[in-house]
Amino acid sequence: MRTDLIEKVVIVGGGTAGWMTAAAMAKVLGNMPGLQIELVESDEIGTVGVGEATIPQINLFNALLGLDEREFVRATNATYKLGIEFRDWTRIGHKYVHPFGFYGLDMLGIEFHHHWLKGQALGDPHPLDEYSLGVVAGMKGRFAHPRPDLPNSPLSRIAYAFQFDAALYAKYLRGLAENGGVRRTEGRIVDVLQNGQTGFIEAVTLQDGREIAGDLFLDCSGFRGLLIEQKLGAGFEDWSKWLPCDRAMAVPCELSDDQQPLTRSTARPAGWQWRIPLQHRTGNGYVYSSAHVSDDEAAETLLANLDGKALADPRPLRFLAGHRRKAWVKNVVAIGLAGGFLEPLESTSIHLIQTGIARLMTWFPTRSFDEVQIDRYNQLTVQEYVDIRDFLVLHYSATERDDSDFWNYCRTLEPPDSLANKIDIFRRTGRVIREHEELFTETSWLAVMVGQGIRAEAYHPVADVLPDAETLSRLNHIREVVASTAASMPMQRDYLNDAGMASGTVMAASA
Amino acid sequence: MNEHSIREVVIVGGGTAGWMAAAALSRFLNNGYTRVTLIESEEIGTIGVGEATIPPLIAFNSLLGINENEFMKATQATFKLGIEFVNWGGVGDRYFHPFGSMGQDLQGLPFHQLYLRERARRVMPDITEWAMTAVAASRGKFARPGREAQFPLNQLNYAFHFDAGLYARFLRNFAEAGGVRRVEGRIVDVQLNDETGFVESVKLSDGQSIAGELFIDCSGFRGLLIEQALETGYEDWTHWLPCDRAIAVPSKLSGLAEPFTRSTAHSSGWQWRIPLQHRMGNGHVYSSAHISDEDAQRVLLDNLEGEPLAEPRRLSFTTGRRKMAWNRNVVSLGLSSGFVEPLESTSIHLVQAGIARLINVFPDRRFNPLERDEYNRNMKKGFEWVRDFIILHYKATKRDDSEFWKRCRSIDIPAELSERIEHFRNKGRIFAEGVELFPVTSWVAVMMGQHIVPEDYDPVVDGLDVDKVAGAMEQLRTAYLDMAERLPTMSEFIANCCAAPKPAEPREFAL
Repeated sequence: MRTDLIEKVVIVGGGTAGWMTAAAMAKVLGNMPGLQIELVESDEIGTVGVGEATIPQINLFNALLGLDEREFVRATNATYKLGIEFRDWTRIGHKYVHPFGFYGLDMLGIEFHHHWLKGQALGDPHPLDEYSLGVVAGMKGRFAHPRPDLPNSPLSRIAYAFQFDAALYAKYLRGLAENGGVRRTEGRIVDVLQNGQTGFIEAVTLQDGREIAGDLFLDCSGFRGLLIEQKLGAGFEDWSKWLPCDRAMAVPCELSDDQQPLTRSTARPAGWQWRIPLQHRTGNGYVYSSAHVSDDEAAETLLANLDGKALADPRPLRFLAGHRRKAWVKNVVAIGLAGGFLEPLESTSIHLIQTGIARLMTWFPTRSFDEVQIDRYNQLTVQEYVDIRDFLVLHYSATERDDSDFWNYCRTLEPPDSLANKIDIFRRTGRVIREHEELFTETSWLAVMVGQGIRAEAYHPVADVLPDAETLSRLNHIREVVASTAASMPMQRDYLNDAGMASGTVMAASA
Repeated sequence: MNEHSIREVVIVGGGTAGWMAAAALSRFLNNGYTRVTLIESEEIGTIGVGEATIPPLIAFNSLLGINENEFMKATQATFKLGIEFVNWGGVGDRYFHPFGSMGQDLQGLPFHQLYLRERARRVMPDITEWAMTAVAASRGKFARPGREAQFPLNQLNYAFHFDAGLYARFLRNFAEAGGVRRVEGRIVDVQLNDETGFVESVKLSDGQSIAGELFIDCSGFRGLLIEQALETGYEDWTHWLPCDRAIAVPSKLSGLAEPFTRSTAHSSGWQWRIPLQHRMGNGHVYSSAHISDEDAQRVLLDNLEGEPLAEPRRLSFTTGRRKMAWNRNVVSLGLSSGFVEPLESTSIHLVQAGIARLINVFPDRRFNPLERDEYNRNMKKGFEWVRDFIILHYKATKRDDSEFWKRCRSIDIPAELSERIEHFRNKGRIFAEGVELFPVTSWVAVMMGQHIVPEDYDPVVDGLDVDKVAGAMEQLRTAYLDMAERLPTMSEFIANCCAAPKPAEPREFAL
């Protein structure tokens, strides 16, 4: 057996990132001989965890952990999510949904949207939204799980994610991690010991004097990057030029009757507001640019736009869009906010944690810490951030809004080349491209490009193989099937109740 | 109408009890001036476990003018002819508590006395072979006896099993169609009159205040008005009935649904099994002093016949009753008025009895204490009858295989119950008061099933000719058997008249 195996992993920080990492490591590496996992966190330091929305990839993470979905949903007050509704982004009064899953049905070997584009050219007025089961069901408050047993039904490929209480999620994962053998140590870190020669982190010192040594340190300490930045100076790539929002104000409020399985994002004069309905309350927040609006005004806007009574005072958060130049330096890997931050416009925060963990598992080191694999890890991480950044910038740059300085700035900003190229290709050929396994699929790019008002001037020539009347009648058929399928799905509230997933339930009379 | 008439009735809580009350009042207060408002919150779920009932529910349905087939279709209901008790008298034991009567009384003498004399002379089949319901139930048979039904079909008394969540939804539609106003909201405050202490209004979280003259508290265990606001007090019966927790879970049907509830005793409680059209309802009622929640859940899951369909739900309760079901201008119904475990399916009945009694003594705004006292006396009696009948099941057992059963055997039971048992042991006599909930048949079936053996029969029976009686009894037994053979199975019967519509398979793309 080799002698340079990692024997001790120390996770610094116990928010969502820390406990996701701990739970996954316990599951995947729990049987490695002699490996110990310890997580250090301090109850004195709050976690950022606000209401969190996720994307369908979370299901892979949950499956990896072997979570029982019903138990998980109940434990975290979760609701389902079929996509994101964007209001006022393209122009005030406009809305569209970015659904998970697919639009319509691919036909003649080409993607559905070419047929839709042809229909539009023929004067068919129905928006893309009407061809997505996720959108139609989501807007009506309905939800059901996929039915892979019905391959010709749009239900076969409906895709979903969750919205949950991040603090409860961390708590739930903590239970799993501790059961899996992760040791939790309570304490505030006051010092970090570095090897004088190599610069590797050797241990962290707690306020009470205890030293916790390790071979590999996972920095989940949040924005500040206790190890990765404050000790190892990884450097930060600042993207505020492209993504000028640098603050958020978060507040939970009471639920309203309007409980769709969708996250909602509403553009505001200096940013945008999220609305995440959970089972017991709605999470809200205003993400804004401090150069364009004051904190007080932002709080006021937020409070004026809740659909129920506020349940707490608005909580301010500050951040900088961008990422650590190197997520992995020496024997420290940054996961979560310590590794970078992109505003939650497309619910990517938890996903970035998850892919960071997955990549770390793939490239799990030995004590020799080979530079080749560290470089590869960092290169992949940066690419992932760049891909997501481009997708986020698309929302800001393709807009007609000119009603505030903020929107004028966003609209006139030169987009990154990679994004400009993608938009250009769509505009001229109707083709949507997805590069190097990037996170957001063709469906996502299509949804947001079309939603933000980008018009394709052409479509795939194969779409013309169908006679015009046939194209229109097929579009009509697809819309009908989608509408009737959505109507047959239960309301999310009933669905949660009937499956015993409703939280906080009280027993009515029994048997 | 006069100046004292009640104009505003406010029902607090929208579970089974709340909607039953709303439905009944929408029918009986349909006078043009009394307004009925029901306040419920989507945030507070109700638990729709399988629900079993007893025959008087038919009277409730017909009072309301509810079409039985429509009601069954809407609630996934099945018919119920009685309860099978397994492992109650002793491990391995089995007996049936049938609805309806057993045999036919002769010259004013109850049938079971004739049976007892015959049994003293020869080996007899079980007495339930003279119950039409038991004979049909053991063969899975059912037919609805029409109003004109002849002997022995007219003895086929029945009740229902249904999905409580769907039942509440069904009654909600009924009540709303009858003019009941539903208000969505969570109650955060209760306003009392300074002088009288009467509830004047309740305040919702959105600031809305809802005033009323008569309040009906259907808020569940906590008793939002009757206890939290009026501090009425609770009579704790745990020393007689030690079970204080339950875990419920639905499961897949493993075969055809049967027309009876089954109760299986375990080492620290018992398990219900309620077949509905689309699933089986199951639950474990247990004493937390004798088994942990985890073990109780394991026992439940180990004893399911089909795979579980939802996350098990837990609840805890304190058996007992509110000292005054009606206090000031608040009438409590359902769990807020008390709780006795569902061993004899009495929860819904107690709600129904409360509603009927309230309508009988409906107050005006002067709230004459006479009416309140009459109501309270009546409800107290109703709860106590149920309580004593339930205690009988625990007390009369040979089981001594666990601490739980040793404790149950040794408890001091209420004096009235102990007299009943002694009368039965002495000469098989049951002295039931005219209006009691459980008829003579019920007492006989359970006492004999639980091995309380009369030492003698009523000497008056000796006035009847032995041979004639024996011949008549044999004829009766054959009549029941023949009838049962001719009946359809319950599944056939339901398929013909009241099957819930199967959820339509979603439409598929046909391109």
